[in-house]
Amino acid sequence: MSDVLANPHFETALARRAAPTGLSFALREMADRGMIDLRGMTTDRKFMAAVKSVLGADLPKVPRTSVAWGDVKMLWLSPDQWLVLCPRAKAPALAADLGKALSGIHSQVTNVSDMRTVLRLEGENLRVTLAKGTSTDLMAAEVKPGFVKRLKFAEVGALLNIVEDEIFELYVFRSQADYVWDFLLATGTTASALKVFGPQTPG
Amino acid sequence: MSKPKRLSTGGSRINRTARLSFTFDGKVMSGYAGDTLAAAVMANGQKLFGRSYKYHRPRGVIGLGSEEMNALVGVGAGARHEPNQRATQVELFEGLAAVSQNRFPSLTFDVGAINNTLSRLFPGGFYYKTFMWPKAFWKHIYEPVIRKAAGLGVAPEGRDPDSYEQIHVHADVVVVGGGIAGLAAAEAAAAAGARVIIADENPVLGGIADLEDGTIDGAPQADWAKATAQKLYDAENVHVLARATVVGHWHHNYVMIAERVGDHDPAIPKSGAPRHRLWKARAKQVILATGALERPIAFANNDRPGIMLATAVRAMVQRYAVAPGESGVVFTNNDDAYLTALALKEAGIAVQVVDSRSRADGPLPEKARAAGIAIATGSVISAVKGKLGVEGVRIASYRKGQGRVISERSAACDFIAVSGGFNPAAHLWCHNGGKLTFDEALQSYRPGTHHDAIAAVGAANGTMGLAAIINEARAAGEAAAKAALPKAKAAKLARLKIEEAARRPMEALWFAPASGKYNEGNKHFVDFQHDVTVADLELAQREGYESIEHTKRYTTFGMATDQGKVGNLNGLGAIAEATGKTIPEVGFTTFRPPYTPMSFGAITGSLTKKLFLPVRQTPVFDWHLMKGAVFEPVGQWRRPYTYPRDGEDKHVSIAREILNVRNNVGVLDASTLGKIEVKGPDAGAFLDRIYTNMMSTLKPGRCRYGLTLNELGFIMDDGVVVRFDDERFLVHTTSGGADRIAAWLEEWLQTEWTDYRVFVTPVTEQWAQFAVAGPKARDVIAALKPSFDVSNEALPHMSFVEGTLGALPVRVYRISFSGELSYEIATPANHGRALWDALLAAGAPHGILPYGTEALHVLRAEKGYIVVGDETDGTTTPEDVGLTGLVSKKKADFIGKRSLDQAHLKAPNRKQLVGLYTENPEDVLPDGAHAVAAVKDKPPMTTIGHVTSSYLSPTLGRSIAMALIENGRARLGEMLSFPLDGKVIRAKVVDPVFYDKEGARLNV
Amino acid sequence: MLTLTCPVCGAEGDETDFHAGGQAHIRRPATHDPEHITDQQQADYLFTRINPKGLHFERWRCDRGCGKWFHAARDTVSLEFKAYYGITELPPAEIMAQAKGAWADYFKARQRAEAKAPAKAGAKS
Repeated sequence: MSDVLANPHFETALARRAAPTGLSFALREMADRGMIDLRGMTTDRKFMAAVKSVLGADLPKVPRTSVAWGDVKMLWLSPDQWLVLCPRAKAPALAADLGKALSGIHSQVTNVSDMRTVLRLEGENLRVTLAKGTSTDLMAAEVKPGFVKRLKFAEVGALLNIVEDEIFELYVFRSQADYVWDFLLATGTTASALKVFGPQTPG
Repeated sequence: MSKPKRLSTGGSRINRTARLSFTFDGKVMSGYAGDTLAAAVMANGQKLFGRSYKYHRPRGVIGLGSEEMNALVGVGAGARHEPNQRATQVELFEGLAAVSQNRFPSLTFDVGAINNTLSRLFPGGFYYKTFMWPKAFWKHIYEPVIRKAAGLGVAPEGRDPDSYEQIHVHADVVVVGGGIAGLAAAEAAAAAGARVIIADENPVLGGIADLEDGTIDGAPQADWAKATAQKLYDAENVHVLARATVVGHWHHNYVMIAERVGDHDPAIPKSGAPRHRLWKARAKQVILATGALERPIAFANNDRPGIMLATAVRAMVQRYAVAPGESGVVFTNNDDAYLTALALKEAGIAVQVVDSRSRADGPLPEKARAAGIAIATGSVISAVKGKLGVEGVRIASYRKGQGRVISERSAACDFIAVSGGFNPAAHLWCHNGGKLTFDEALQSYRPGTHHDAIAAVGAANGTMGLAAIINEARAAGEAAAKAALPKAKAAKLARLKIEEAARRPMEALWFAPASGKYNEGNKHFVDFQHDVTVADLELAQREGYESIEHTKRYTTFGMATDQGKVGNLNGLGAIAEATGKTIPEVGFTTFRPPYTPMSFGAITGSLTKKLFLPVRQTPVFDWHLMKGAVFEPVGQWRRPYTYPRDGEDKHVSIAREILNVRNNVGVLDASTLGKIEVKGPDAGAFLDRIYTNMMSTLKPGRCRYGLTLNELGFIMDDGVVVRFDDERFLVHTTSGGADRIAAWLEEWLQTEWTDYRVFVTPVTEQWAQFAVAGPKARDVIAALKPSFDVSNEALPHMSFVEGTLGALPVRVYRISFSGELSYEIATPANHGRALWDALLAAGAPHGILPYGTEALHVLRAEKGYIVVGDETDGTTTPEDVGLTGLVSKKKADFIGKRSLDQAHLKAPNRKQLVGLYTENPEDVLPDGAHAVAAVKDKPPMTTIGHVTSSYLSPTLGRSIAMALIENGRARLGEMLSFPLDGKVIRAKVVDPVFYDKEGARLNV
Repeated sequence: MLTLTCPVCGAEGDETDFHAGGQAHIRRPATHDPEHITDQQQADYLFTRINPKGLHFERWRCDRGCGKWFHAARDTVSLEFKAYYGITELPPAEIMAQAKGAWADYFKARQRAEAKAPAKAGAKS
């Protein structure tokens, strides 16, 4: 019995949900994502240099952009806050390395790999499908690969990252994952799919 | 009196090769694809569609679109039944089943018509004068009867089987209305490069272009409309929404469009598409091209079946090939109605014109004369013969301002096409503060100024000539595109050759004199749906209702489902004449969204059933569910309240859980409590300002319970603060306070103490956290291979350690809300279930059981611990609840400190926290029960405080309660009285710590 | 449903993406001089607010975006946002000049006070 935690069972929020059917896009949970919340001042050169020494590239400073370097991605959240993505297994060590490099420098490094659920959506018409849940203008020019924004989606706070033109990732808090999954199941059906702007046939 | 019928030729909207079968009031009828229900029923020879609201007068179709106010029908069966649909908008489909409304037992013989006979007893405002006395009759007699008689349609029963959705969209230009003006504006804006949405409530764009004279480039204007609509459908940068009503205009050009996706074809919603879709559109520029609505004329008995607006008659004939009768009278004060006379003549239907103006010599009247149509100028209709239909009229001579009939003659006819002029449909202009201006030529209101980026074009703007409409609309479309897009190009549209017959001026006619008692105006209807007449409006003026807003509510004029679209101006005109004011002096009432009724489904969208609320679930939620837990909402979370077994009463399981914590060990899912990491060189100093007590003195590895106040000095939240190291703290909050306190911390750092070097990161959801509480708690943890020393010396009460249990990383806080030996163990959330299962397994030999929030609340109450929100109500200070010891006297400043010194927070007789033992230990005082200074036979009695928490305590074998009582601490030992329904419970004031006051059980 | 643009991150959004934080430029007596606060000063700080028909100055937070607080000048009649500016800043001069009534008095007093003793951006004990 005392060995029961020798190999502790790992279960993400949506592990028990069945694979969806009838959607106009592919939807799955990315269970292997590590996430580190990083806070620091861009005006602090020591902070920026220390982070670069660990992550390999400069943190993005332009709002709603991201930088990828190797298997690490840095998402801009705020002028003094980023979400650093990496493979899940790597997160504890990466957080520790950042903490060490930032010792004595005003900053905060927090492993938040379990805090959010990552949903990957793949398909053609994702901007329109997601427009059913958010008033953020997803057809704006800046919404292209690399784009990241915290926004309101389906009545909850979420984070959207455009990975590629037809691959979007939606981050929601773990406790609300079922709700958002159900929302996507309800609004993402092929039966309710539609195009917005572009040639139409009169009904 | 003859019946309406289908003509053998014509009908631009119907497809004679596609026959459809439908029922109306159970009668099987047939029509064609393209018919509206109104047209198809009339084609089957029926003109009676319903009974009016108050007087139950027989009514037929009056309009051609969404302004229809008489022919309101219920469509569909069972859970899909939808009441109050306008028959002129219902598109016919195979198997459609519709019913008339507000009639019993049938449309032709309706007992409610007694109201009409007794109509002198039911003038406007009678609601306010009757049903007042005796007072006792209201609940059991008046109200039930009125409820049964009131309303029009019948609500559906059962759950709506269809789905609905909403969608957000952004556009440079939103064009409201797809008639000539809207098409021209949209075409221009799109050509200039703007992203355009054009929405029209009809299934086909073009407005009434198909019913008008006027040519564009030598062809009927309807051809241009069709071609332009197709261009818009084909364009990359245009989205066309048909069957879509723009229901409202809000701040910053926010526009909502209710699209009826599947009402016209049952196969659509059945396929899984939403029945209605609500578009929430944000536009940089809005162009209102909503056209104008025709108004009737107030003459005696002007509401009979067969009396329709002139444009509506034309639509019946030209679009649906339906003749309203065999012989009609066109009653008009303007030139436009002559188009109807000409259309009737062309269809082979006898027609004559009655024109209230002294002369009718414009091109259209001349054309009518040339076609052999008799025109009587200087005349009005002074009477209508017939009840279930029109059998004939009396025509009186008329000079402007004439109030009585001087001479009249009879004429046979079986329908009337009436036109009193046109009102710009300016409703959306007013929704968000746009002002209206009175147009003398139209004798109606049209858009004036607006502070939003919105323009009105065409008839909606009072612009009536075809060439003027198109030029105005094109200019507005291009201007809108330029304003929206810095890089707009020129629209460069081809010039059009536009020709149209000129119109001579309309002459306002607000009251047509009638013979004898009918001249009292009590059958001159202005609001058809609410049965409001000219006499009602005049009565309201005599009774002193000077403001038009009062008149509206007193008479209910303009308050029906059509919101006065057709009747408003006629009413204002009648009031103006009665009072000698001008119409602008009378004013107008406020237009509010929605423009036409919309379904609740559209308003709700997808957020029904489990999507109604974003319910939050902990990492162990599935386990609680599987165990049959009863849940309670805590903020948006669902927390297990208790775990009853096999149908037992929840009081049994709650008692079991409490005793098991006291005697063995229990485990509680505490994951919902807020957790916020605070880091920085100034973290301690910052937390000193947030809490009432000192946090900067907290040593690493130690925990301290703290109170946060708001600036008013009242308790806002509480929780245990943990210090990890010099610069790192963890703040716990209540479950409901997690997001609020995280925001609170950021607010103070960003807006007030901007020099503090502190970062705040919420981590509530990163960690699953469980309380292991009871005398055997240590044994349970020891069994899981902890990497740390769990002895009392190494990990005393209010301390913290970080380590592992087996291979699982954990943070362990030795804190207690139950008063027993207790540890809260946190592990990253995705391992939460693993930890939970392991705790249960390790605890099994020790009798471990899960316990829920109710057991938690009783355990803490037994120890006298407060719960923010129970013992505090937003006006409670630390002193009130006996926690003065937590208020630092050393700190110069913390949030709320200065307010604690305000006189009212130091006043005597404030309510103070005490415990209560009821006289009979089995009595459990209800939450919120009031103690009174003196018990009286009946209220009022003076309250001296109330119960804040109340439970049956199995630990003590009796009930306990906490209460806030005036001067409570000075009343120990006193008996208080709590009057309840039918009895008084007495309770003794005691110390609020009922159990283990010394805390011995905590320090083992 | 207003729209706002966050001056910190540039995000445009519906007002539901933001959190309204009430009147701007309220001075907290206890931050600067906790020992000498009259009851009236404390009551004013807690309860007295400017309620103009026209130009108003407010605090907002980019709640669903970057999370930063900022200031906005907004017309309470037309609901138009006239300017956005930083949380530690005063409004742009041309906007401040348009302020009327209590706001005009406030800005005049503030400028007088700052001419005498330039204020620090924040304070800690």
